[in-house]
Amino acid sequence: MPPEGLGPLTLQSLALPALEGGESFQTIPVNLDLTPDVVPVPKFSEQITANVKEARLLSHTPWVRPIGKLEITVQTDGWKFPRPAVEYSTLAKPAREHPDRPAGRQVVNLAKADDPNARVRTRPTADHVLFKDRLLYLLQPPLDGLFDGRQLEVPFEPFPYQLEGIAFLMPRHSALLADEMGLGKTAQAILAMRLMFHQGLLNNALIVAPKPLIHNWCRELKLWAPDIPHECFGGDTEERRRMWTVSNCPLKIINYETLTRDWEIVADPKLIFDLVVLDEAQRIKNRGSKTAQIVCSINRRRSWAMTGTPIENHPDDLVNLFEFIDSGRVPPDCPPKQLPGLTSDTILRRTKDDVQSDMPPKMIKDVEVDLTPAQREAYDRAENDGVIQLNELGDTLTVQHVFQLVMRLKQICNFDPLTGESAKLEQLVHDMEEVAENGRKAIIFSQWVEPLLVIADALKPYGPLQYHGRIPQQERTPILDRFKNDPDSHVILMSYGTGSVGLNLQFTNYVFLFDRWWNPAVEDQAINRAHRVGQRHPVTVTRFLTENTIEKRIAGVLDAKRKVFNDVLGQADKPASLGLTEGEIFGLFDIQSRPKRG
Amino acid sequence: MTDRATPTNLTLGFLTVLTEAGGYLGGYLVTNAWGRPLEFRLTTSVQPNRVQEILYGATLSEYILADLIGKTLIEKTATQPSLIVADTAALLPLRARIDVPVIALPNDKKTHADALSLKHSRAKQPILYPVKFSDDGPRIQQLLDAVDQAVELSEPFTRVREAITEARKMGVTSRAA
Repeated sequence: MPPEGLGPLTLQSLALPALEGGESFQTIPVNLDLTPDVVPVPKFSEQITANVKEARLLSHTPWVRPIGKLEITVQTDGWKFPRPAVEYSTLAKPAREHPDRPAGRQVVNLAKADDPNARVRTRPTADHVLFKDRLLYLLQPPLDGLFDGRQLEVPFEPFPYQLEGIAFLMPRHSALLADEMGLGKTAQAILAMRLMFHQGLLNNALIVAPKPLIHNWCRELKLWAPDIPHECFGGDTEERRRMWTVSNCPLKIINYETLTRDWEIVADPKLIFDLVVLDEAQRIKNRGSKTAQIVCSINRRRSWAMTGTPIENHPDDLVNLFEFIDSGRVPPDCPPKQLPGLTSDTILRRTKDDVQSDMPPKMIKDVEVDLTPAQREAYDRAENDGVIQLNELGDTLTVQHVFQLVMRLKQICNFDPLTGESAKLEQLVHDMEEVAENGRKAIIFSQWVEPLLVIADALKPYGPLQYHGRIPQQERTPILDRFKNDPDSHVILMSYGTGSVGLNLQFTNYVFLFDRWWNPAVEDQAINRAHRVGQRHPVTVTRFLTENTIEKRIAGVLDAKRKVFNDVLGQADKPASLGLTEGEIFGLFDIQSRPKRG
Repeated sequence: MTDRATPTNLTLGFLTVLTEAGGYLGGYLVTNAWGRPLEFRLTTSVQPNRVQEILYGATLSEYILADLIGKTLIEKTATQPSLIVADTAALLPLRARIDVPVIALPNDKKTHADALSLKHSRAKQPILYPVKFSDDGPRIQQLLDAVDQAVELSEPFTRVREAITEARKMGVTSRAA
């Protein structure tokens, strides 16, 4: 029986619309007591309940969304740096006052240090591509702090510009420190090396310097890097071989001549230096010279060059220096205009004007004297005869012939060959009286030793000392010490060749150039023995010139050469051309003949 | 002047956390007593999502700074520090997670109830350390005395920030991520 209230079963009463819409279901009692001709109806395999319907809905988006990981994670990346070598971890004494510290050091200002709190830091260069390499320099402590504390024993704190020089050198594999003479290039290089030894960036280094400067380097090393052991190459070949190959002294010093003798040992590929420093690097300005080739053949990881005169004559000097500093950076035929662009990141040059506004001035005085009658007669005769002889040489004339005449005339400008009269000496003696009376000291430079011997005799009252090629090597340092400390010694006589480079004579206030050198850069070197860091008084430079002589003509050429130097390093658009060309040498005289060209 | 020996094995860990675009990035420099770098480590940027912010609630900052960045950086770094120097007091809770004294050099002048303060010539500003670890005071003093007198404790953070900036420029932080 059908339930009460239900009528007979029909298609309409089966609620099919509800099933098709899927929105609502209801359980419908069905009366199965049907007649056989009833049409088929949907078949349920299982009973549908509300719970089943709700579960399906909640298990599908957008009703259920993942909320992600509740745990927060982080990743790290790290870098380790070379550990300071154990031998350099020993304690240093606090920075102390150097006994010779001149008062002038305190008043030096770095022109561009506008911020008094600015720190001097090493920075990675464009050559540092790897992040780790860049980090190493970014994370170094400020250099000014290093010299404040107990970690480095230094005689006194370097100047700000010297700190910048150290910061310039340290990250560079290729560097040219071209500060003007007297600004302390040696100290900057030593301190940079010392810090790098401490940081484990260097294990061994080689310094190449001119022979007369080796003692100076040793003295400066004791002063600025007492904790870095060093040794100088000496002895016979076997002894030197042992030093090259067996000695584990971290810092070695050699002069150019000895290095040239040891070229076979140097060429050994197993001999590698972390750093090679060339002092007075203009020594390798001639690319084809044996010295230049041997220096460039040293196996090394870093190359630093130091010179106050990177261009002595021609921009090519700089190009050739770069053969050592960074071979391949500057092509041999590089036009001068392109030099600054190729080299500027590798060169640091400061002049005294740049860094030391308070440094005492350098006053250059050209004293033009008239030859004595005897000198004038001898000079005129020599020049007239000499020119006649040159012209008679015709096609066989060479530049050496002209040089010989120039030298002869210059010697007469110094002293009359017969009487020994000298207009310059008369003036010099007069000037020296004043120097000695004021308790000052002077340096006198000459191209030759002979004039110095005569001058020494004339200046006996002023305790003259001599420092030139005829003074044995071992006697030179004591002579400098005596000149510094003996109040009765007012003058030292030097040849350009021996005394013009590397010496610190800032306790002198007068420089006399008794005769002129061929090259203004060499003259500048000589002058800067006195006018350098630590000088407390003005320096007076007297350049003797004799009127109406070859000296005046050469002076004109030298002025032009000086312009070459300033133009290229000043990045002028159009560097002046050559200095003393062969044509200019011939032009010193009225010579019709010219050498025959093949 | 007293010439006190600088212990060669003394190491300082300089820890900073920078915030950027809602995220946190940690940098950690270990130096010797002279301030010279021994090891450097940095983290990827941590950016908690909204749900994490809700679920971690007030503990989120301490969790990220101390547990996630600070503790991870120190544990991952091979060189063990003698003293951790942070540039924010928010990193002081790190002390509870490691067995190394932690000090902070806050730039602000806020008072920190949960920190003690001491003065030392190695820092221009007062040095804070957790009040819960008040026993650290003498040890911190002793360690700071051994640091080279040229070291100013806030200076290395300049280096760390520059290094992080360089890392960003070179894409190192994202690479690590």
